[in-house]
Amino acid sequence: MKMLKLPKSKLDFFAAVTQQFGEVHAPVQVQGGFVFRRLHRWSEARLDYQRTLLPPKKYFLPPQETLLRYRSTAGYEPCSEDLDRRIVLFGLHPCDIYALNLLDRVFGPPFADPYYTSRRRNIAIIGMDCMPDERCFCSSMRSDFVDRGFDLFLSDIGDDYFTLVGSARGDDMVLASGPLFSPVSPADVDQYKRRSAAKRRAFRLDVEIRDLPEIFEMEYESGIWEELGRRCLACGSCSMVCPTCYCFDVRDQVELGSRDGVRVRRWDSCLFLAHARVAGGENFRRSRAARIKMRYYHKQRGFVAQYGRPSCVGCGRCLTACPAGIAVTEVIAQLRETRHAASC
Amino acid sequence: MSSARPKILIVDDDADFRESLAVFLESHGYAVLHAPDSEQGLLRARLERPALILMDLMMSERTEGCFAIQQIRRSPELQNIPVFVVSSLYDKAPDFRIPPDRAWLGHDEFFPKPVDLERLLEAIRRYLAGAGAAQAEAQP
Repeated sequence: MKMLKLPKSKLDFFAAVTQQFGEVHAPVQVQGGFVFRRLHRWSEARLDYQRTLLPPKKYFLPPQETLLRYRSTAGYEPCSEDLDRRIVLFGLHPCDIYALNLLDRVFGPPFADPYYTSRRRNIAIIGMDCMPDERCFCSSMRSDFVDRGFDLFLSDIGDDYFTLVGSARGDDMVLASGPLFSPVSPADVDQYKRRSAAKRRAFRLDVEIRDLPEIFEMEYESGIWEELGRRCLACGSCSMVCPTCYCFDVRDQVELGSRDGVRVRRWDSCLFLAHARVAGGENFRRSRAARIKMRYYHKQRGFVAQYGRPSCVGCGRCLTACPAGIAVTEVIAQLRETRHAASC
Repeated sequence: MSSARPKILIVDDDADFRESLAVFLESHGYAVLHAPDSEQGLLRARLERPALILMDLMMSERTEGCFAIQQIRRSPELQNIPVFVVSSLYDKAPDFRIPPDRAWLGHDEFFPKPVDLERLLEAIRRYLAGAGAAQAEAQP
């Protein structure tokens, strides 16, 4: 992988030059937190953010999108508005990039979703390293470092950003801003390693994920799920803020008085009562306990069986968003501590 | 009536520069609009639809004009308006060293400050004559 450095003092110039690859979007501070948004000026960018309210998945799988239009006279027409929109997404943290790499496995081949994959192709990603706060546990989920899924990745090494070039487009960005970048020195490499070690030491949350699918298997009938069901409000906040939750609902919106309409895809959540309701009115997960259990089992066990690792990346958003104070880290700890035999 | 005269919008945080340039352009038959920053510049551009925009780059922040031009280029209502950059970027940031290429800056012409007024006037005439011809061609 190509490695270069970019002076921090020239990041604004670099951002200006990257606009030829698309509109520059970055974390911006709003009331209540940070959001990824289009920049109107570079000073709006807040690269010192901890986590955004919504993850960057909103760019690739929008909260609501029109998939197709249908007319009684013309049949079905795919809706491709915005799919070609080129964006440069600045400042993604490793866990969020890791999450996109996981979503690629869901929405990519062999059954590629053309909406998701088009956006993935047209949106450039410039990642940025971060330091953990008290809610980050990406190190436990092995997503505190990424080696793919970005065009460029910047790590703070003092006066410069240590820059990893992760794609041909990233290389084009470097070429377009040629004189801003320079080769790294041995001292820069040492500084990068020191920074990396300091980040590893800074984690305060630790979740052991080895044998976790097996623990979940053992605790399928645990009383913990009923207890969580009593606490959970089924608001779906955890799913909405999760960078890897991808459940969606598809509905037809028919224009009144005609047979024309649009087919719309919207974010859904397995915490919602209607999520498992099927034709005829049967609902496979009528209780909140069943629904929250489903969420945990899918993320920590089902995804492992299908894709080889949990879908949780440890970003800490659900810990922040849950109004009932349910924390995945505590649930996992509780499951591990459950004892089935009388102690002697 | 000034509405018959082509409107040129000057976006620059230097009020003296705007005034002196306005006097020069008005003396050559143009109506001049002013904006002291990119936010007001974009607002005026949307409201007044000038025939041409003269944009500074380094205003309250040094890439402000760069971002404003990209917003113009990505706005369906404004994207066809010629944008001339009038800037001292390469004097004030000599280590920047990336030539003012249209691919990244999105401008039509680049004029370093202090601006060569005759060259500027000649370019404005050329662009606006082109726009006039295109408009005439579009008439049924």
